[in-house]
Order: sequence, then structure tokens, then C-alpha cells
Amino acid sequence: MAHACGCQHGGAGEAPMAPGLAAVPESHRVHLDVREGLRRGEEPFARIMTAVKALAPDHVLVLRAPFEPVPLYEVLGKRGFAHWTERHAPDDWSVCFYREAGRRTVLDVRALEPPQPMVRVLEAVERLGPGDELEVRHERRPVFLYPQLDERGFVHETDEPEPGLVRIRIRRRRV
Amino acid sequence: MASPPAARSGPSPLVPLGYLTCAAVAFVAAAMGIGWLAPDLAGHYYHPRLLALTHTVTLGWITLAIMGASYQLVPIVLGRPVWSERLARWQLGILTVAVVGMVAHFYLGTWPGLAAAAGLLAVGIGLHLLNVGLGLRGFTQWTFTARMVMLGYGGLALTTLFGLTLATNRVRPFLPGELFPTLHAHVHLALLGWMTPMILGVAARVYPMFLLAPVPGRWASRLQLWGLGLGLPAVVLGLVGVPGLLVPGALAAATAAMGHAWWVLEVARGRKRPGLDWGLRFSLTATVFLLPAVVLGVALAADLLSGPRVALAYAVVALGGWVSLTIVGMMLKIVPFLVWYRAFGPRAGRERVPTLADLSWPRLEGTAYVFLTAGVALLAVALLVGDVAAIRAAAAVLTLGALAFALVIVRILGHLSPRFQKTPAALVA
Repeated sequence: MAHACGCQHGGAGEAPMAPGLAAVPESHRVHLDVREGLRRGEEPFARIMTAVKALAPDHVLVLRAPFEPVPLYEVLGKRGFAHWTERHAPDDWSVCFYREAGRRTVLDVRALEPPQPMVRVLEAVERLGPGDELEVRHERRPVFLYPQLDERGFVHETDEPEPGLVRIRIRRRRV
Repeated sequence: MASPPAARSGPSPLVPLGYLTCAAVAFVAAAMGIGWLAPDLAGHYYHPRLLALTHTVTLGWITLAIMGASYQLVPIVLGRPVWSERLARWQLGILTVAVVGMVAHFYLGTWPGLAAAAGLLAVGIGLHLLNVGLGLRGFTQWTFTARMVMLGYGGLALTTLFGLTLATNRVRPFLPGELFPTLHAHVHLALLGWMTPMILGVAARVYPMFLLAPVPGRWASRLQLWGLGLGLPAVVLGLVGVPGLLVPGALAAATAAMGHAWWVLEVARGRKRPGLDWGLRFSLTATVFLLPAVVLGVALAADLLSGPRVALAYAVVALGGWVSLTIVGMMLKIVPFLVWYRAFGPRAGRERVPTLADLSWPRLEGTAYVFLTAGVALLAVALLVGDVAAIRAAAAVLTLGALAFALVIVRILGHLSPRFQKTPAALVA
């Protein structure tokens, strides 16, 4: 039976599909098939990470591989991705990597003097539930904040969408 | 699109704190040394003991403070990590031994020892440049701050080589030309090539950050960059062999300085921060000293004024007024933050933690402000007059200010003690 994420239910996929994942439309699914490349002896990791980096927050990466890509679960889990695995055949697997839907909060700390931005962010992250995301709007990369987030078990991504705005997305790391 | 994290891990606070603590010790020693050397200061500045005092200020205080601050601020303002903190620790040990060695050999007038200490200093500075340079590999965001910091590191390298050459020349003379123009070139390479670009570059990022102010128009930044970029080589070349470049170079450097003063004024005017703490008052007051420094510097370059007294007063308002008071102000912002981060950062967000002001001693900061600003101004006037008693009186005022500043730093550093870390509630009560 075909599912909304493009994966087939059954086989090794005993775990039920998350409701949010099932509702993801086709237009929000990015398909990446590495089976042929692997057969030719190519290393797929860089392609996968490139696809992950380009993935919009509400999009799903559907990876097709000739084996269950177990090491990827931890690598992408540290980046806040959950996964749902489907075995079609012993040499044909599909894995959906997705960000769990949760509450999204925006915190603008641009008008605060150091160390208040760090204090506000650390207070806010302590309130994050599983799957929740905190988007921090800062005017610079908070280099002293990152180690605190790492030590407290949060994953974070930083980008600079426009001059004078640094955006940090923070989630709890999946266990 | 998400970019790779350029500086995900902040530097260990203990590295910059080590440098800044050594710098504060040198600052107090220099302030005390002024009173001790008052009779020498009333005469000509080219005296071994005064060279010892000068290098206590320029290397022990200013250079160590800038290097220490850079180990905190470069990751923030340039977004790049320190390449090796272990190297930074080794470098501090080497520099401390080298500076003490240089000051001692200057004081005693023993030139082979001075040359050896200068060689060791060159090694320490070379390691700093290597550490920063490796951290900045592949750097592409050439903002005003980044350009100024690079100019500053270039100036530091040239000043060091110049100084090493002068030290070697004392042991085995080989340099052509007169001594004083060469000496003045070395001084201005340090002032305009190392200290000025570092202050201008870092101020461009941290003043708006601390004052919560918008950044003024770009033309003031261009004025500073071009003024200094053209003024520095012209002044140095004008002093060592192309006299016609000296006055245009001095005017270009003066334009950069005035562009910076105007820029600071605009930031201060546009600030959203309602009140000013003592650190910011120090930094803003320091900018006021740029005016007499520029007037005296241009007048000396154009031969409108001359003589050792004017030269010493010029050095005091430039190094003691603008550079030193700026550093004191920045240290009153940086040191509490580093201590707070080390002692209370891991608790932030989980429990109530003290503010930076809670760690400090604002009343004593105010005392330091009054005595240091007054002391620098009095010393400049006393040196112009050339009166030993007046120099001693000014030195006493300056020393009281330096001691008050040092006590504030000691109090802040005290919060690194486990005794304080266990009782944050007492601090915020």
C-alpha cells in the first residue's frame, strides 16, 4: 500500500508512520535514489548531506538505498531529523527523514546587550518540547552560545538570510 | 541556505583572561613607574629607563591587552575560531618572559640581553600571528572590521621586525641615517599600524553592540580605512627618508582619527541604551583624547611644535588617553563577560544568574574613571611644563586610578573561585 511519503508500508517498517509524515504532500517530498550510484561504487554521503542542507523545514527527504542506512540515523538525528524506514526487498530500502512537527517559537534578541541574548535563548530552549523549534534572530553568530547548546543536547543550524540578520534554529536532539 | 558553522565553539575564557590579567599588572606597574621616573620624564625621552617605561606600556599593557581581547573578540567579530588555544597559552608565557626581559634590559641598559629578549618577543608575536592566520584560512568576508584587523596584524609584524632591527643595531650598528627619525618611525608604526587599526576595527563592531545603536553611514568607515591606509606608510616613509610625505601622511592619519571620532559620536547619539556604564564612559571619553593627540601629532609633523616635552605630552594623550582608556573601558566589558560565562554560563536558563554589573564594583569603577582620566590629562600638562613635582602629582593620581581599576578586575576575577560559584543567589539577591 502506497503512503503519502512515498514509502511502502510493510516489511521491516513495523513502527507506525507518524501522522504528520503521512500528511506530507508529494510536492514537499525530495526523492534521492542512491542505489545505482552505490552499485557503481560511488560514495553517496556527500549527495545525501547536500540534499539535507537544502531541505526546507517542512519538507521530507525520501532516500532509496540498497541496504538499511543505519549510520545515517544517528548523523541526521543529531541534526534534528526523525526517520521512518520501509523495506521493499532485502536490497531495496526507503527511509523518510523528516523534522517532527512541533511548536515553533521566534525569539528576537537583536536589541539586547550581551550576555542577555544568551540568557534569553537558554531560558527559551529549556522550555522546548520534543519536536519544538526555537528560531532565534540575532545580529551576529553567537559563538559563546553554541557550546552551551551542544552541552545541553540541542541541535542547531545557523544561516544569514540577509545582512544584519543571523537566524539560528534550535531543537532538542533526538535520543 | 544554511552555511557551515564558522565558529561553533567559543574560546576558553581563561585564555583571554590570562592575557588581560598580565596586561592589568603591567598597567599598574607603568603607572607606578611614572612617579618613580619623574626626574627622567622632565628631561629627554631617549633614556634607557624611559624606554623601559614605554615598552611596559606598549608591550606589557597595550599589546597583551589587545592580544587577549582578540582571543575573545576575533571569533565574535570575524566569526572564526581560534586555531589553537594551547598555542595561545604557550605564547602568553613566551611573551611575558620576553616583555619582562626587554623592560629589565632597557632599564639596565644592557643591549645584548635586550636583543635576545626582543628575539624572544618576535617569536611570541610570530606565534600569535600564526595562530590567528591559521584560524582565518579561507576567510572571505572582508568587512571594515576584518580589513582593519588584518591591517593591524600586518602593522604588528612590521613593528616587531623594525624593533628587532633597532635592538640588533644597538649591539652591532649597521643602520644608516639618524637615530631619532628611525625611532619615531618605529613608534608610529606601532601606534598607527598596530594599535589604531585594531581599535578602529573592533570598535566598529562592539560599540554599536554595547550601545545598542545603529551603525552610521559607510563614508565614515571609508574615511578611516583610506586615511589610515594612506597615512601610515606616508608617515613612516616620511620619517625614515622621504620628508615630503610626512605632513600629508600626518594629515591623512588625522583624517582617519577624526572620522573615527565622528563615527563614535554618531553611535553615541543614536544609542537606544538609556544609561552608560563606566566601561562605556571610559571608551567614549578616550575618544575625546584623540583631538589633542591629532593636534599635537600634526603640529609635530609640520614642525609647528617641537622638543621632547611636546613629544612626551603627545605620547601621553595618544597612548595614555586614547589607547589606554579605550582598553580600560573594553576590559570593564570583556572581563566581566568572560568570568560570567565561565562561572554562570552553564547555569543560565536553568536558574537565576547574576548580571555583569553584579560581578563588578561600579563605585570603584567610577573612582578609577575619575582618577585615570584626570591623571592622564594632568600628566600631559605636567610633561609640557616639565616640572618634576607636577609630574609626580599627576603620577600619583594616575596610580590611584590604576590601582582602583586593578581592584575592580581582581574582584571580578574572584567570581571564578568555587566559593562564589556556589552562591549565585547571593549575588542576585
